[in-house]
Amino acid sequence: MSETILKVEQVSKRFPGVQALDKVSFELYKGEVHALVGENGAGKSTLMKILSGVYRPDEGAIAYKGKEVHFQNSRESSAAGIGIIYQELNLVPHLTVAQNIYIGREPRTWLGYIDDKKMNADSTKILKMLNLDIDPATRLNKLSISKQQMVEIAKALSKDSEVLIMDEPTSALTESEIDELFKVIHSLRDRGVGIIYISHRLDELKHIVDRITIFRDGHYITTSEYASISMEEIINKMVGRKLENMFPERHNVPTQKKLLEVRHIVHGSILKDISFDLYEGEILGIAGLMGAGRSELARAIFGADPITSGEIIRDGKRLKIRSPSDAIKNGIAYLSENRKEEGLAVKMRLDQNVTMANMAEVSKSFGIISTAQELKATKTYVDELHIRTPSLMQVINNLSGGNQQKVVVAKWLFRDSRILIFDEPTRGIDVGAKYAIYELIERLASRGVGVIVISSELPEIIGMTDRVLVLHEGSLMATLRTKDTTQEEILNYAAGLNAQPAHSNR
Amino acid sequence: MDNATLQPASTEAKAKIPAIRRGVKISLDKLVIFGAFVLLFALFSVTARNFFTLRNTLTLALQTSTITLMGIGVTFTIITGGIDLSIGSVVALTGTIAVMAANVGIPIWMSMVLGLLTGVLCGLCSGLLITGLKLPPFIATLGMMMVVRGVVLTITNAMSKPAPDAFGDLGNDTLFRINQQFPGIAYPVFIMILAAIIFGFFLRKTRMGRYTYAVGSNEEASRLSGIKVSRVKLVAYMISGFCAALTGIILASRMVTSQPNGGMSYELNAIASSVIGGTSLMGGIGTIAGAVVGSFIIGVLGVGLTMQGASYFVQQIAIGLVVIGSVAVDQLRYKKK
Repeated sequence: MSETILKVEQVSKRFPGVQALDKVSFELYKGEVHALVGENGAGKSTLMKILSGVYRPDEGAIAYKGKEVHFQNSRESSAAGIGIIYQELNLVPHLTVAQNIYIGREPRTWLGYIDDKKMNADSTKILKMLNLDIDPATRLNKLSISKQQMVEIAKALSKDSEVLIMDEPTSALTESEIDELFKVIHSLRDRGVGIIYISHRLDELKHIVDRITIFRDGHYITTSEYASISMEEIINKMVGRKLENMFPERHNVPTQKKLLEVRHIVHGSILKDISFDLYEGEILGIAGLMGAGRSELARAIFGADPITSGEIIRDGKRLKIRSPSDAIKNGIAYLSENRKEEGLAVKMRLDQNVTMANMAEVSKSFGIISTAQELKATKTYVDELHIRTPSLMQVINNLSGGNQQKVVVAKWLFRDSRILIFDEPTRGIDVGAKYAIYELIERLASRGVGVIVISSELPEIIGMTDRVLVLHEGSLMATLRTKDTTQEEILNYAAGLNAQPAHSNR
Repeated sequence: MDNATLQPASTEAKAKIPAIRRGVKISLDKLVIFGAFVLLFALFSVTARNFFTLRNTLTLALQTSTITLMGIGVTFTIITGGIDLSIGSVVALTGTIAVMAANVGIPIWMSMVLGLLTGVLCGLCSGLLITGLKLPPFIATLGMMMVVRGVVLTITNAMSKPAPDAFGDLGNDTLFRINQQFPGIAYPVFIMILAAIIFGFFLRKTRMGRYTYAVGSNEEASRLSGIKVSRVKLVAYMISGFCAALTGIILASRMVTSQPNGGMSYELNAIASSVIGGTSLMGGIGTIAGAVVGSFIIGVLGVGLTMQGASYFVQQIAIGLVVIGSVAVDQLRYKKK
């Protein structure tokens, strides 16, 4: 069963400022499920995009079925038989299942119009092959997410794919739906399809994976039979990186004064009874995998999404937070992970963005804006946060990602926020600018601000926080002292492998 | 990794480039449209007899004042990322309400205020449909356009009714009249200038004006910054309704009759003037000055072509091309950036 179908040799890919892949190799057999794991930024997605023809490698070779291939675009790779299923489904909700499977290559009758009969019959055949009981004439949006995912798989198979790449296929599925998916994966494997399985959920690998390859920071680390490697080894190899010098020295000292008490927050099934405290001068991390409910927790505290129940207490008083403006009045700020979508008005100017959350401060009577005060305030923060800009009135779109992030911070500092929630503060920011953001977070905490940092990057959590909350599927699994914990322990909790007893019954 | 190299070194020096540079840049942007207007004006002055006379210029200003007023109002809604298609119908309704009120003996000024309130109310309705029922602005105001038109036709039975003579003063009297050569500046022109200054100031210099841009530029970021997005949108549609009402009353006053069929497709001219003036239908971008210049380009084209003997149909072609051309130029400019 060890006939090689796909072989990647010494492939490198460089993007401006980042070596995304550095001479990595990877080999996929026919009829195996091969897990590819690594932290964010390890290079998994880049490799997938090279295999599917979206990117072209700078160097190295890819051999498919024994022949060297150079895919110019995703159409070529899919025609050759490499199917990819992205985390977000690429389907058209208003078309039927069959129309989705054959989109862009519908069978025609001799008159040139679409042969619905043949399309439906062929679709039925493929769906049967996957043991799926779906009527091909059903509209796609009538199906559950897991069924839609099956349709995506059927679509890939209808192109006679011999290699199937699945990127975090279970992130949107429930337990029972995952079982369903695994059954399909097993039957595909038995039919000789080679499957590359990318997942952050290490706990689920044991059900389906034959071999595992680990990447770290764009480097190939190792490949092993899954049966002969332990979870500890996997995590060690994923993480194994020195943390010195990536983070600034820490001066902030958390006090005993509670800045914020969050009690029994429930939001449908997304957040399940979460309670924690935030102290003055503390940097509190929130760790967890995708879908663990980290951003949702932040948005709930900030009033951006409604909550089912729960209390938020500040200075002994229960806050009534129904909208972001209520939270802001109480000194809480949320810096969204989607800077451009939710944090900034990118078409507007730097000064206008800095003052956006606190216009009253730069207004005279009758709501008339004082341009002089506005510029003065902006200047203060441009200097303090070292925002690199040619002018105080630069349009945000023209600033770099790191500087844009600083503008968001400036906005909330100008609002005099006492509690800052950073959601993935360094996402999409180059390494140099990351350090500046870390410094800034440290400085804020030293000043007595309570900072919450949500991060997918465990080194960031370890390097920057005093305590860390670990979430798993909406539940708080553990509250850990950062000094006394390790990335391995956090990952264990985040993967749902175990829970702190104190939290399990709360 | 070497931390020292990561420290931003000499940012302070760069950070304080004065505001002058921005002033220059913005006026350059504006100059493009304004230049087009001047060019057009000059062109007609040369080619059309009697175009470049004081008298004609005053007439031009009077004729253009209505579309300018509506353009100012609709610009607010477009900047929030919306649109207001109902204003043509609001013109008819508000003028008619004011005339009807005057006809039952309510003092002229009060009946006009009544008309203005009706316009604000129409805007409020559109705004509530958009913020409360979460309807797309296009649909909400398209519906309002039909409903309001239906209402005005129903209450009048589609008949124009004359108004008391005094009702016509606002639309027909002038200030500073000297002689035949200088018949004075008509009240509607003053109203237009006043509205442009007040709303231009409001949009540029007040908090609510800033929020208007913010909501159009990024609604979610605005909400997360504590801005009450619904309130901002309501205000924008109420301003749009108010400006349409001003137009409706001026038109009714100039004709000294109610015009239940008036104002048809005016909304499209108003939107065109705003767009020619650089307002982006995507929201977040636009100015009152731009809308004013845009409406005057339409006005000059109309009057100039008429004086050259071109038919109304040709004018339509010309205005259409200007709308397409001005937005195309904008697109090219943004692409370059």
